[in-house]
Amino acid sequence: MAAAAGATDYSFAAEYDGPPLPYSLPRAIPLDLSRIPLAALSSSPPASPSASSSPLPVVRPLTPSSLCSAIHAHAHAHPAPRSAAPAPAVGGAVVDSPTSVIENHHAAAHHSAELPSSPSDDEGAGDDGGPQALPPKPRHQAAVTFAETSGSLLQSSNYEDGFEDEDGDDAAAGDARPRAAAGQSSGSLSPAHWRGGRSRGCYRCGKGGGFWGRDKESCLACGARYCAGCVLRAMGSMPEGRKCLDCIGRPVAECRRDALGRGSRVLRRLLSAAEVELVMRSERECAANQLRADDVYVNGSKLSPEELVVLQGCQCPPSRLRPGFYWYDKVSGFWGKEGHKPHCIISANLNVGGLLDQKASNGNTGILINGREITKSELQMLKLAGVQCAGKPHFWVNADGTYQEEGQKTVKGKIWDKPIVKLLSPVLSLPTPNKATNQCGEDVHMGNRAIPEYLEQRTIQKLLLVGSGASTILKQAKFLYKNKPFSVDEREDLKLIIQSNIYNYLGILLEGRERFEDEALADRRNSQHDPCSSGRCESGLCDEVTEYSLIPRLKAFSDWILKAMALGNVEDIFPAASREYAPLVEELWKDHAIQATYKRRSELPFLPPAANYFLDKAVDISRTEYELSDMDILYADGITSSDGLVTTEFSFPQMSLGGQGADEPDPQDTLLRYQLIRINNRGLHENCKWLQMFDDVRLVIFCVSASDYDEYYEDANGKIVNKMVESRQLFESIALHPTFEQMDFLLLLTKFDLLEQKINTSPLTSCEWFNDFTPLISRNLLSGNSRSTRGSQTGATLAQMAAHYMAAKFKRLFDSLMGRKLYVSYVNALDQESVRSAIRYSREIIKWEEEKPVFGASDTVYSEEPSSFTH
Amino acid sequence: MASVAELKEKHAAATASVNSLRERLRQRREMLLDTDVARYSKAQGRAPVSFQPTDLVCCRTLQGHSGKVYSLDWTPEKNWIVSASQDGRLIVWNALTSQKTHAIKLHCPWVMTCAFAPNGQSVACGGLDSACSIFNLNSQADRDGNMPVSRILTGHKGYVSSCQYVPDQETRLITSSGDQTCVLWDVTTGQRISIFGGEFPSGHTADVQSVSINSSNTNMFVSGSCDATVRLWDIRIASRAVRTYHGHEGDVNSVKFFPDGHRFGTGSEDGTCRLFDMRTGHQLQVYSREPDRNDNELPAVTSIAFSISGRLLFAGYSNGDCYVWDTLLAEVVLNLGNLQNSHDGRISCLGMSSDGSALCTGSWDKNLKIWAFSGHRKIV
Repeated sequence: MAAAAGATDYSFAAEYDGPPLPYSLPRAIPLDLSRIPLAALSSSPPASPSASSSPLPVVRPLTPSSLCSAIHAHAHAHPAPRSAAPAPAVGGAVVDSPTSVIENHHAAAHHSAELPSSPSDDEGAGDDGGPQALPPKPRHQAAVTFAETSGSLLQSSNYEDGFEDEDGDDAAAGDARPRAAAGQSSGSLSPAHWRGGRSRGCYRCGKGGGFWGRDKESCLACGARYCAGCVLRAMGSMPEGRKCLDCIGRPVAECRRDALGRGSRVLRRLLSAAEVELVMRSERECAANQLRADDVYVNGSKLSPEELVVLQGCQCPPSRLRPGFYWYDKVSGFWGKEGHKPHCIISANLNVGGLLDQKASNGNTGILINGREITKSELQMLKLAGVQCAGKPHFWVNADGTYQEEGQKTVKGKIWDKPIVKLLSPVLSLPTPNKATNQCGEDVHMGNRAIPEYLEQRTIQKLLLVGSGASTILKQAKFLYKNKPFSVDEREDLKLIIQSNIYNYLGILLEGRERFEDEALADRRNSQHDPCSSGRCESGLCDEVTEYSLIPRLKAFSDWILKAMALGNVEDIFPAASREYAPLVEELWKDHAIQATYKRRSELPFLPPAANYFLDKAVDISRTEYELSDMDILYADGITSSDGLVTTEFSFPQMSLGGQGADEPDPQDTLLRYQLIRINNRGLHENCKWLQMFDDVRLVIFCVSASDYDEYYEDANGKIVNKMVESRQLFESIALHPTFEQMDFLLLLTKFDLLEQKINTSPLTSCEWFNDFTPLISRNLLSGNSRSTRGSQTGATLAQMAAHYMAAKFKRLFDSLMGRKLYVSYVNALDQESVRSAIRYSREIIKWEEEKPVFGASDTVYSEEPSSFTH
Repeated sequence: MASVAELKEKHAAATASVNSLRERLRQRREMLLDTDVARYSKAQGRAPVSFQPTDLVCCRTLQGHSGKVYSLDWTPEKNWIVSASQDGRLIVWNALTSQKTHAIKLHCPWVMTCAFAPNGQSVACGGLDSACSIFNLNSQADRDGNMPVSRILTGHKGYVSSCQYVPDQETRLITSSGDQTCVLWDVTTGQRISIFGGEFPSGHTADVQSVSINSSNTNMFVSGSCDATVRLWDIRIASRAVRTYHGHEGDVNSVKFFPDGHRFGTGSEDGTCRLFDMRTGHQLQVYSREPDRNDNELPAVTSIAFSISGRLLFAGYSNGDCYVWDTLLAEVVLNLGNLQNSHDGRISCLGMSSDGSALCTGSWDKNLKIWAFSGHRKIV
């Protein structure tokens, strides 16, 4: 046995026998249960609870996080962990062991000191603090609430250097409130697990010191500081930047927000520049470190995540957005802190926050701009701008600076027209509009801007396109929603596809020609044997020449094509050869034999329908200077030559929807981006493993060509399979795939136009799955009056009935498989409008599904669309 | 000229005779193979490897992907790891510091495989876009931090399921694909040097899932496929497979050469790992877990790796287990899935560092973990 040999020893890792290490190896610290402090009776009699200003020592239940903080608490109490003389404990409960690394009594002390101020410090970590959440109502109460939350907030406010108001001096009143409220209402100021400060020692190894603790790196979320030796162990791979492992997923402390993405010396020393850069990038860009929508109030109402996205994603977003209370004037775009004059001018007409309050900026001049009473400095500015302010008028100011008096139509002028206004505004610390503000909303679509990654993740909706004709839908979608649907490379690729396909089609024609020639010759031989025509001797001369015969030169060419086809390497040879053979193709195409065959193309079963379109222009296509038209692209077979997965991303432009009138888009609608993903049918089979990659898809769009019912193809085993039956099998295997268990399906019945063409000549029942199709056909139709194909009772054409019947078949199939509803829509992929409506329909489906829990599961609201057809 | 029907008949007859011959071959093999590795080793009195639960510990967790991790690869020299995830990124990690050194955004986020070049200067990846993209790690990222693709290898007609550089040759790369072929590429020109399978007979008859190149004879490589076979190929002879190995009852998800280059291991959808002898074609050993009490199907093997000596076989399973098999005695030594800090999801890929000191696992829980030997133990 071979494997047995040479296995005397094995090593997974060799034992270290190198030189002694200059640093200490980290060891797992065994947890000694007996060392964990238990509640002990307080030694002092509980005589005077009111008099004792120092809180009673309370031992908190041991949770992982408290243990963790215990370690840190210990560390900052003891710069040297193994000091022989432990410092006297603050509270009672002295369980001291100098040898143990975890000295929990300090944890107890640490926590008990915190207890009065933050009674719920563990559960308040991530969510918006439940009962403590203050409604945003305590308006204009100055700093009253500040004192109540003192314990925790004071602790963190020491470090809130970056949180100062840019306005500077008059910060006290307005600033304290948002700070206090935000600190209470959510964990983002994170007093709960904030452990910065006090000690300059490392929180992990306890080694202290350093001048000002500069050679330390601190956690963005909890403030724990680590020395250079420990920082990598404590922070791991830093998926969200500098946070300790426990804090991953927690929001950053607001006071450290300015430090986001600013590299530190410690990291630079430890890591390579590329590594630091990536850490900083993830720090800036990861979702957990972004401003939390819950903490931002605009015009008195809390923002939703989508509104925050809108706000930050607009043309001129407010700079340095922090948690707090703001007012926003939708009409003019003025933006400021509540109780303050405007701070900046952002994009107007954003749909965020509530209604603007008259007292929003705490003005007392009596003059209103867009319903807000302005402040004195604004009034000064207005006067400078030459605006008549006598009699306390009410103004409407638009985003472009034009203003008019309330109730009057005439535009009185533009505020920003006078250069002095722009000069003096900074003096009065009033904002001036950005240049970009003016053009906002007109020609710049939201969809064209780059959206930061963390937003993209949230706003992209993936639609999976499967089935026959899926690539045409995708191409059409590209035409619909893209400014530049196909790049030069893609066009070149498509051109090659079309050119090699034309040879394929020609090959099929040539095969047909051979067959027709043989048949014709056989006919002729038969007729020669026929005694009636035996006297025609001249036919002997051109015995081998029929209508379908080629001249020898073309015959050689045709044989070559056929041979290449038989070998299966047409696409490898022909695009390169097309330049050389273009004249030959032209000659061949113009040859009467080919034309005669082409006339009988309906007898060639393997000639795809699109071949007609391309063969008609075969001569053009085979030229090298051939330029694709859009229609050519749509008709082309596939999208790329490798025919792998193809995607296109788009968002619904506001314009086209606005034109529709009825449904006005809400702001997040334009932010939502949709991604159509077309996957190749060829690789799809049951338990296909890579379908697992599409578990984040919102909707599976399954395309079935309605005209497939009488078309067949030959599978690998040489069996003739009906294409519709094959589609059904594919549909079943995809619907039953575990990945799509909960997924919604939309069936697109494509090629309705072809169905219309052939339904009257080729009955639907020719597909065995549809053998119970018994449409209600009017007598007119039965009696052969083909001009009126409308059924008299239903008012539907036979094709429509057939399509509905197919849809119902699929619906029943889906219902029996999954017990759910299948959405169905009909498209003609060559018609832009019908594809547009199909895509819009799929968007509606996604919306319905999102709103379903609100309406209740079995709401019949959904059944107004085309899918409502039930057989 | 024979008619189509005649040809079909002949084909069917030939297929039948091939199958019967194959069956005879199997029986003959079984007859000759009176023992397997485990029985032989037991007869030789080999002591099983024993591991304490703390002997193998997770010493690093590489966090940073936001999607399922699908593939990983180590550099031959430096301790760098490249990982590919469904979030559409390749991340190059420094395994020592557990930091990212490169994060590469891909055009097609559905990536299934990635590989380091032997010189550690470039990485390759492939996926559902049916192409293999090469990134030079030294190239400058653009303003948005995106790394330019240095070359795209196109030509596959199906997804690229696996890729591996030919050791010691920066310019040669072998990919396997859903189009039932494997392709040897010249990376510098982007041309296919040879195509294994496809039109030629004796190629795979279903999607190829995995390739592994023999490190001691880099002309030989094996490919595992959804047709439940493994085929051995000689790079110089594209026209036919050197040998075909039957035995598995499900898709072969992973193949890996044994360190000595004379054997290779396989991991399959049927829940077993097998060890095959490359030269004799014998199946040496089956590593099969017992079915659980509910008689459910065995979880599929997603990926395998050998320890540097070959005594240990690491196998990741679709249910999140990662067994450490004793290759000689066919016993489970340890289940990494039960250890502290183990993955929460399916383990999708495994990789042994080139010096054999650490194992890296990638999982659908978006993390990679590096496991290393801890503590003091005596060599068995």
